[in-house]
Amino acid sequence: MNKAAFRALFFIVFIGAILFRLSGLDLRPMHHDEANQAVKFGTLLEKGEYRYDKADHHGPSLYYLTLPVAWAFSKTSLVSLDEVTLRLLPALFGAAILLLLLLLVKGMGRTAVFFAGLLAAISPAMVYYSRFYIQEMLFVFFVLGLLGSLWRYLLYPSARWALTAGLFAGMMYATKETSVIIFAAAGLALILTIVFQKVRPQTPYHLAVPGFTYFFLGLVAALLTAIAFFTSFFKNPEGIWDSITALKIYFEKSGAAGIHIQPWPYYLKLLAYSKSGAGPLWTEGLILVLALIGMISAFVPRRQKGAMPSPARFIFFYTLLSTAAFSIIPYKTPWNLLSFFMGWVILAGIGVGFLLDIVPKIYFKVLVLLVLAAGLYHLGLESYRANFRFYADPANPYVYAQTSTDFLKLVRRVDDLAAVHPDEKNMLIKVVCGLYETWPLPWYLRSFENVGYWQDPNQAGPLAEAPVIITDQEQDARLQPLLRDKFQSEYYSLRPGVFLLLHIRQDLWEQYLKEKK
Amino acid sequence: MKKAIVYAALLPLAILCALAAPQSQEQNKVELKLQLPKPMFIGTPRNIKSPNLEVISGKPRGPFFVPQGTKLVSLKKPVTSSDMQPVIGELSFVTDGEKSGEDGYFVELGPGKQWVQVDLQGEYNLNAILVWHYHSQARVYRDVVVQASNDKDFIKGVTTIFNNDHDNAIGLGIGKDKEYIETNEGRLIDPKGIKARFIRLYSNGNTSNDMNHYVEVEVYGTPAK
Repeated sequence: MNKAAFRALFFIVFIGAILFRLSGLDLRPMHHDEANQAVKFGTLLEKGEYRYDKADHHGPSLYYLTLPVAWAFSKTSLVSLDEVTLRLLPALFGAAILLLLLLLVKGMGRTAVFFAGLLAAISPAMVYYSRFYIQEMLFVFFVLGLLGSLWRYLLYPSARWALTAGLFAGMMYATKETSVIIFAAAGLALILTIVFQKVRPQTPYHLAVPGFTYFFLGLVAALLTAIAFFTSFFKNPEGIWDSITALKIYFEKSGAAGIHIQPWPYYLKLLAYSKSGAGPLWTEGLILVLALIGMISAFVPRRQKGAMPSPARFIFFYTLLSTAAFSIIPYKTPWNLLSFFMGWVILAGIGVGFLLDIVPKIYFKVLVLLVLAAGLYHLGLESYRANFRFYADPANPYVYAQTSTDFLKLVRRVDDLAAVHPDEKNMLIKVVCGLYETWPLPWYLRSFENVGYWQDPNQAGPLAEAPVIITDQEQDARLQPLLRDKFQSEYYSLRPGVFLLLHIRQDLWEQYLKEKK
Repeated sequence: MKKAIVYAALLPLAILCALAAPQSQEQNKVELKLQLPKPMFIGTPRNIKSPNLEVISGKPRGPFFVPQGTKLVSLKKPVTSSDMQPVIGELSFVTDGEKSGEDGYFVELGPGKQWVQVDLQGEYNLNAILVWHYHSQARVYRDVVVQASNDKDFIKGVTTIFNNDHDNAIGLGIGKDKEYIETNEGRLIDPKGIKARFIRLYSNGNTSNDMNHYVEVEVYGTPAK
């Protein structure tokens, strides 16, 4: 692929990736985790307050990087925020991943980078979680930034690439605690790549061994970046120590028996094949198969004159090590696969480049491209389904503990009730639910002034004083004797198999029916 | 005398002040800002996809007593619907006697308000109706209304046996029955012995999607005399 064609095609794919990620960003109801992050960000936006929580919700980068987006849209309070503003940040980072692939052009080749970009642009997992207001896509961006900078450093050792790698490493740490796994995988991959290059040179080319000075420079850049974020920009010094003790908490969580424990092949099975009931088949098998070809190519020596060393081995070692590490850890949620799946996507691009290289005749190349086009069409179709049709349907393998679309009917009902209540948005609402059943209510009820949240109904005062009560099923069973005949109750699905009950006091209900007529 | 004049002059002023007092007190008041507890943050919840085969209440349904000679009178009886071309399955599934929650045992009707109607092919005293909409997943069907009539078009002599359409969303009147979560036990409805040949069941989507489903409808009765 010549330079001009590469530039034009890559630009088209990049624009496509942006559009795919930005379309209908408010379609999917806010996930429990997104709502937690959004309300936390609301506090930072309104009061400038943020303290790193070592027990949960990951690092500070998501919140601080959302600030400029909110300011750009003149959003100054939690109430003024919306789904599009929040999800814009991960969506843009998800698309910007393609730009970081350009760091690998030297060595990987334009064809391989183009196809890696194309696969990243349409992969259902990559697109789906790019539209999620959680840390994951920012993390993948920083991981790829680190890998790309390390590769550039291996080719051209300099303070610039050492500092860039350090900056990305610092941002990784400030984004997710699982960054330590990636540091270990990337470090080990770096060592293995250099050792292999010395033992079995892929090309007669020198790969630089990281020197102490440059390593120190990178480390300083990483530490300064992480310190700035964890201390809430030097306002909370405890944040540094908390970020270290958090590792112990996350380590214990990763192995402890809990609600997210899955067997080791969980991630690979999720990517390879998934089908639920009458729902469609889901597979990212195309990427996996092409990546296997890319893995083989990493050990096929290149003998062309002037050939660059390929990053294939480095990416291969990284991908293998990180996939193994995340698979061994019993704690698994589907979005955690992205940081190692990115390696599979790059290897898939390398696989396509290798295939087109080794196929001798032009008509065989055309045949390969036709088969590839069919596979890409299917992948794109899956991605469309995942993001625009099955975005909240459990038949979609990437839908995990997702808020049901039915929940939005509860929100609409509460809005309609407030419209006929004399206090309107000041109407008292009592939410008596377990912690897991409370979210995403705080996000959706953010415009209401008087909403109280309790887990224990005994703490909630006289219930009948509230015209609207929201309970989970457990509390409903306890409270029914108190609510029966005084409240009209409605069921709404919060998540598959989890219901919320909206209890409307009879006087308000009758008023609502009267107004409705 | 002077004192008396002063008091007399001050009296209307005192009355005016007394009248104005509540208003000025009101003016001095400020709105009480309630300090309600804020939500606590928590990590990712469980991803629930398990089949809903257990009874939600935790208690089995108690015995239900019917007149002697009561029999299942709906088995294999003809079924019609507002959606004669179901999205999934056949209308005959409604009375085929199969109550499994798995795929292949339910009929899916289009979105929004839909009905199915069972023709008992004769008039019966209705003693029990059992309905299974869908029970491989916990869900609630909205605006469930069950009616009985001897008129196949449900224009004359219609009796509503069950109605939980509490906001009259489907226009058959406001119902007082409660919504319920579907289980493998099905929903037992007491028709109280009314006489009818046709049973019509309405629904209006459910908490998982806008579609309408029926695994089985069973009508128990004795021949009307």
